[in-house]
Amino acid sequence: MAVFTHGNISIEIDEDGFIEDPSTWNEDVAKALATTEDVFELTPNHWKVIHYLRDYFAKYGIAPMIRQLCKETGFPLKEIYELFPSGPAKGACKVAGLAKPTGCV
Amino acid sequence: MIKDVKISSMSVKGEQLVELNQEEFFPLPHPYDNLKEQPGFKKLNDATKEKYQASLDGVMAVGKERPETKEMEEKVVKAFISGLKKLFSKENNWTFLMPLTLSMENCAKCQTCNLDCPVYEGSGFKEIYRPTYRSEILRRMYFKYVKNGNSFFNKFQNSDIEVNWELISRLFELSYRCTLCRRCAQSCPIGVDNALINHELRKIFSMELGWSPKELHEKGTMLQLEVGSTTGMNPLVIKDNMEFIDEDISEKAGIKVETKWDVEGADILLLHNAGEILAWPDNPAAFAIILDAAGISWTMSSELLGYDGVNYGLFYDDVQLARIAMKHLEIAKKLKVKKIVMGECGHESKALGVISDRIFNGAVPREAAMTLLEQIVFSGKIKFNPERNYFPVTLHDPCNLVRSMGIVEPQRRILRYLAPKFREMEPHGNRNYCCGGGSGFAIMSPYNFADWRIQIGGRKKFKQILEAFADCDPRPEFPKYVCAPCSNCKGQLRDLFNFYGAKEKSGLYYAGLVELIVNAMTDVNEKYIDFEAM
Repeated sequence: MAVFTHGNISIEIDEDGFIEDPSTWNEDVAKALATTEDVFELTPNHWKVIHYLRDYFAKYGIAPMIRQLCKETGFPLKEIYELFPSGPAKGACKVAGLAKPTGCV
Repeated sequence: MIKDVKISSMSVKGEQLVELNQEEFFPLPHPYDNLKEQPGFKKLNDATKEKYQASLDGVMAVGKERPETKEMEEKVVKAFISGLKKLFSKENNWTFLMPLTLSMENCAKCQTCNLDCPVYEGSGFKEIYRPTYRSEILRRMYFKYVKNGNSFFNKFQNSDIEVNWELISRLFELSYRCTLCRRCAQSCPIGVDNALINHELRKIFSMELGWSPKELHEKGTMLQLEVGSTTGMNPLVIKDNMEFIDEDISEKAGIKVETKWDVEGADILLLHNAGEILAWPDNPAAFAIILDAAGISWTMSSELLGYDGVNYGLFYDDVQLARIAMKHLEIAKKLKVKKIVMGECGHESKALGVISDRIFNGAVPREAAMTLLEQIVFSGKIKFNPERNYFPVTLHDPCNLVRSMGIVEPQRRILRYLAPKFREMEPHGNRNYCCGGGSGFAIMSPYNFADWRIQIGGRKKFKQILEAFADCDPRPEFPKYVCAPCSNCKGQLRDLFNFYGAKEKSGLYYAGLVELIVNAMTDVNEKYIDFEAM
């Protein structure tokens, strides 16, 4: 376990750079985590993805299917990659403060 | 840095054995030959190196924390030796005792296997990655502790080794630098299996010391046994997700996609790697379309573990392997299905199809998807228009399916028929190269391990893929399809292509075999494979 610091933000992250405790997430944490993904400005489109992921995670305890994320947010996979260069699982989920997706995904 | 790495270097505290240098990796073809355009190879910081065992190669896949006291170190050494002894007893190693013993005692040290290892070659021939390096360490311990050869003669003949925490913790990391692809075993003139030795080594760590990668154990087999799937999907979520897939893909394909649940007495229990459902839904949907079009009675199971055929136990722990295989057997028996068909997943096919044989004991037959699909495609029951697949296609051979199980021809027969621009990689079939994500690596990215598995582990594969399409228009608007009938391999190809920007630069795409089959079906809307959306 390591502590990630950015400006005033200081949170515990795991070996993959994912938040250790998803309940410690807030929007400032998202902005800080985004810098680790080379995303330096969170646009309304980023927030749309982040909020969808968080809502789904709160309800089901895991990340949604990638296809469902694309359909519900209206962004094709290509655009998700443009928003979060490491992709939906490793990039978007990380910024949204979800646990790292597990299994062969 | 140690200049001349020997076996004994592993026991020497402090210095890092090997420094990995991108400039020493063999060059990739244009436009992937410029290191400056690539993301680089992350280095661990000093604090991390201080806290964990990182002195093997400056990479961490598992990251063992340094113990605080000498006593704790000694405890580890004792446990390891005890585990080593168990590995060579009939009562404790019901799976691989015989081939392990033969491999331990009969290696002629001819080193023929070395150049067949994609990791050794990919790293710029680093000594520690030689398939025989790791085995030699274990062999010396075997002669010292199992064969009780503490005599002068044994030490002379088999060479002594100093066993301490440094050695054991480095060996733990080293056991996760081999993808268990078994290419070395195939090239050995006398059948010594260095990959098996590595597999058995991982077993000592997991089964005796409780050391294993969290992706395979806590978030892998343990999570699967607890909630039903390595993905974390419980039975409610899986049904919800499949319902979404059924609707979504029915609309796109213009044909009804209908997942069957818990049909008692069905001919086939279809067992996917559950990762497909979350990441590549076109794959399970294509299975549903094909099986229905062929008029086959099939079902999926919504019982805990009944919808995830993954068995990571295969990679590191026989007890976990058996626990999961027994659940799969129970579910198949309860549903009274005639057989289990494993979806497009290499390790699942090997775990259920071969390694669990003694657990199943003839109770329920298992079949890998490739042979069933071959039968269906050539049965005449489905109408195809192969011209719909008129783009270059090559086939990646999953090691478990091809080298370990011998399933080589069925998928090729299908591709030769349904993909007019199909071309082989060289070498292929059971001489294939691993994707670099084998043995669970595709889902492991802690610290800087992703850089290792992409740039070293998958280097040979990436080069092969580029060469297979060397005659094609290189521009990205001309898509090129790598057919990889394995979830694990697909995860690794995704990371490879993303790292090198291969989609943007060369139009490289990857997906499975069933998607190509459905893409050629005349009853299905065109563009089942939609490059725009991939």
